[in-house]
Amino acid sequence: MSAETGVIHDIGYRRYTGRRLGRPQIVRALYWHSLRSAFGLGRGAKAKIVPVIIFAIMCLPAIANAVAVANGNARLVPYDTYVFQLRVVLMIIFVAAQAPELVSRDLRSHVLPLYFCRPLRRMDYPLAKLAAFITACLAIIEIPLLLLYVGTVAQSHTPHAIWSQTRALIPGLLVGLMWAVLLAAIGLVLASLSGRRAYATGAIAIYFFLTWILAGILIAVTQRNVPGTVMITPPPGAIRPPGSPPTGPIQVHTMTQVPTTASHLSGLVSPFTTLDGVRLWLGGTSKGPLPGVGGYGALYGVMFLVLLAVSVGGLFARYRKAGAL
Amino acid sequence: MSAPLTAQPGAPAAEPSAVTPVIDTRALTKRYPGPVTALDALTVTVAPGITGLVGANGAGKSTLIKILLGLLEPTGGEARVLGRDCQRDGEQIRGLTGYMPEHDCLPPDVTATEFVTHLGRISGLPPTAAKERAAESLRHVGLYEERYRQIGTYSTGMKQRVKLAQALVGDPRLLLLDEPTVGLDPAGRNSMLELIARIGAEFGISIVVASHLLGEIERICDHLVAIEAGRLLRADTITSMTQVSQVLLIDVDEGSEALLAELSRRGLDPRRHERSLLVGLDDDATYDAVRDAIADLALPLNRLEQRRRRVEELFADDPGTPEALTGASVGGTGGTGGIDGPGSTPEAPHVR
Amino acid sequence: MSTIELRNVSRWYGNVVAVNDITMTIGPGVTGLLGPNGAGKSTVLHLIAGFLAPSRGAVTVGDVPSWRNPGIYRTVGLVPERDSVYAFLTGEEFVLATARLHELADPAGAARRAIAIVDMADAQDRRISTYSKGMRQRIKVAAALVHDPQVLLLDEPFNGMDPRQRLHMLDLLTKLGAEGRTILLSSHILEEVERLADTIQVIVSGRLAASGDFRAIRRLMTSRPHVFLVRTSDDRLLGSALIGRPAVAGVELTNGGLQVRASDYGTFSRELAVLARDQGVRLREVLPEDESLESVFEYLIES
Repeated sequence: MSAETGVIHDIGYRRYTGRRLGRPQIVRALYWHSLRSAFGLGRGAKAKIVPVIIFAIMCLPAIANAVAVANGNARLVPYDTYVFQLRVVLMIIFVAAQAPELVSRDLRSHVLPLYFCRPLRRMDYPLAKLAAFITACLAIIEIPLLLLYVGTVAQSHTPHAIWSQTRALIPGLLVGLMWAVLLAAIGLVLASLSGRRAYATGAIAIYFFLTWILAGILIAVTQRNVPGTVMITPPPGAIRPPGSPPTGPIQVHTMTQVPTTASHLSGLVSPFTTLDGVRLWLGGTSKGPLPGVGGYGALYGVMFLVLLAVSVGGLFARYRKAGAL
Repeated sequence: MSAPLTAQPGAPAAEPSAVTPVIDTRALTKRYPGPVTALDALTVTVAPGITGLVGANGAGKSTLIKILLGLLEPTGGEARVLGRDCQRDGEQIRGLTGYMPEHDCLPPDVTATEFVTHLGRISGLPPTAAKERAAESLRHVGLYEERYRQIGTYSTGMKQRVKLAQALVGDPRLLLLDEPTVGLDPAGRNSMLELIARIGAEFGISIVVASHLLGEIERICDHLVAIEAGRLLRADTITSMTQVSQVLLIDVDEGSEALLAELSRRGLDPRRHERSLLVGLDDDATYDAVRDAIADLALPLNRLEQRRRRVEELFADDPGTPEALTGASVGGTGGTGGIDGPGSTPEAPHVR
Repeated sequence: MSTIELRNVSRWYGNVVAVNDITMTIGPGVTGLLGPNGAGKSTVLHLIAGFLAPSRGAVTVGDVPSWRNPGIYRTVGLVPERDSVYAFLTGEEFVLATARLHELADPAGAARRAIAIVDMADAQDRRISTYSKGMRQRIKVAAALVHDPQVLLLDEPFNGMDPRQRLHMLDLLTKLGAEGRTILLSSHILEEVERLADTIQVIVSGRLAASGDFRAIRRLMTSRPHVFLVRTSDDRLLGSALIGRPAVAGVELTNGGLQVRASDYGTFSRELAVLARDQGVRLREVLPEDESLESVFEYLIES
């Protein structure tokens, strides 16, 4: 028979002698954490509502078109502009709602000193946030495009057809990338101005909406109305205007809207039309909100880079001082 | 995975030369445009153990912490933490230290577990280790089921514990605690102080506690660093700053007049001090004389103790009358640098 | 002389009873208002300051009800806990503005005096936003003193002050109390309240748990034996002698010395020296372990 024994286990403090990850992995951990915040993961059901709904609606045109193609119709939705107006509205909502999740919350709770007292560099924080939000916007923009592609290609039966779809997709993905990068940067820098989510969301939404509407107005009002005439032959039995010959073609007055230089440049006031201008400059053919860039395509390219530089620069500048211990 | 425990109690106050100092600054200076001088040629060495950092006003304290963590460049001088240079190896130092800020820094809509785990990842722990160490840290600071609730529902005391847990999660060699008891009620302060003392004694982690409350510092710290106007005022062990003097203090609830007379009669030259009597302690016979005097008069004895210096005397304004008590000498060494203790009026004993 | 009086005062918010039937009188001198977080101390201060009306009972300052009576602010000065200063003003502007709001005859002079009292004359021309926390506290006290109030209400006034500033503030409050002003001080730092306050009022869960001199309060706790730590030349010998006495409830030999629990404090304190002498044991140290304000407070919270 063995003697009765008992043990008291030592559950005091234990030192950590395991692997310690370096700065790159730490930044990656922050990246993943921020990416999850952008979609409301790990934060309860309410936080997922906006991202999920936006994503679902964004996918609808792709799914609808895929069904149409399956029924024998041609693909209607272009890859490079997608459904432009819809995409604008959805991205405004997504960026305005989610950018504050990544950035304003930390500012409000004054948690930044707890990041900066750890083994990462100051600028790693905005870097990780920007990378994460660009990824999030990319997902919202590109996945529907890919769905559109897959839906169309599934009905293509020749390698040539598949190849032409692919050739059309690539520029679309590129445009989507530009969208993601610019919108993410602008959204984050505006959100970083306030710890209050309501203010941040408001600032982002107001900026994007106002400039978008302004661009639309400018484009419309700066177009010139050019009068002209055209000869048409009305079908037999149609009522003819008084004073016109009873048979044969008649003269009809027309008014055409023609873009002017001003209309070509109006797109510069809004990031969305700027992006469209760059698309046109790079050879995009689908019809977008801009009536052409009229030789000013390079200006749009410059504007895109300026907006990007100011936003990214502003974001990093913001975190140079903020969250000082 | 964590290794088996090797408990290292905090090293007792040793000669600075025998042990690597935990913090070591030389002529550390920081000037801001203003002109504001936050640190002025500060030279100080902090030994392992629990050290109180006191007296620094806002600018000096936060500037010092930022420089030590490698987040700010000094205008002049140098600083080393755990043997590493603050300017060159800031990142490494930040990986070895834990910091508990004074202000609110917790998000309200996250649970303590998630929060501390996330910060564990940012400290460089792999995912599983971060989870485990977060759980352990929360247990050590005394947060049990509460850790699964959102931080916004916590009391002040619980929030302070979360702040401490996130400082511990990366297994630091040095903890910087900035006013850890601010906002806590007396019971909360007691718990926090006991916790800090336990961490210093049992976990083998050196601690620097910045606090304005000298009572706390006397209670849990081994050493003290006092900074004033950006310069070192005094750096010393708590023991030498609270040394006993050769003066005996006697408190009787009644009959102090009679006792005064009786002690005089026995040749002890007693003096009044507030509610108490003081006699010079020349040798052990004094104890017996006092005892017998009280016994003869059958007086109610409440307190009998050797008077101690108090850390607070360092900050008392007037040098006051030198200790004019029966040739009694005052213990207490000068320590390194700064204004010395003796010369100021000794205060009433610790606890009344 | 202004006395603060609460008579059967209760204050509730829906189902939450913040203050429950409190009757207390606060006279001249320094009184400490103590209690755990959430006990109702701030509510009591706000009731006295006239910011809240009692749900029941009467709160008077100098026999005048504090609620809806702006006149009391001539005699009452308040130093609240929160940061309640306009950071864009300089210290001097802030105190001067307060002096003007009080419609003092010589606002500039009064402001100067008040700033001198709190020793902020050097920094008075700097913006408050540049002040440290301790300096902000001091300028708040100056603003509360500018109209020379008879009654001063302070909520955690030492918050953020470094040791030197604390000692100054302690001296200042002692002096003001000695001048006969009625000073009510709410603080968690018991070691400072102990030195400053002649009387304490302890609030626990909205009820007044104890008032008066804390030493006297301790003596009233007869069910709790007084604990002493005694260091002698022969602890065990003295210990065995002590345990034979009816006044002693228990004796324990510890590393720090002999811990004695005296059920009858009065008798024990008279017998100790006698017993030591009779046994030939040298008494080196006799320390009361639970007579401090901190211990008394702990006991009051527990019960």
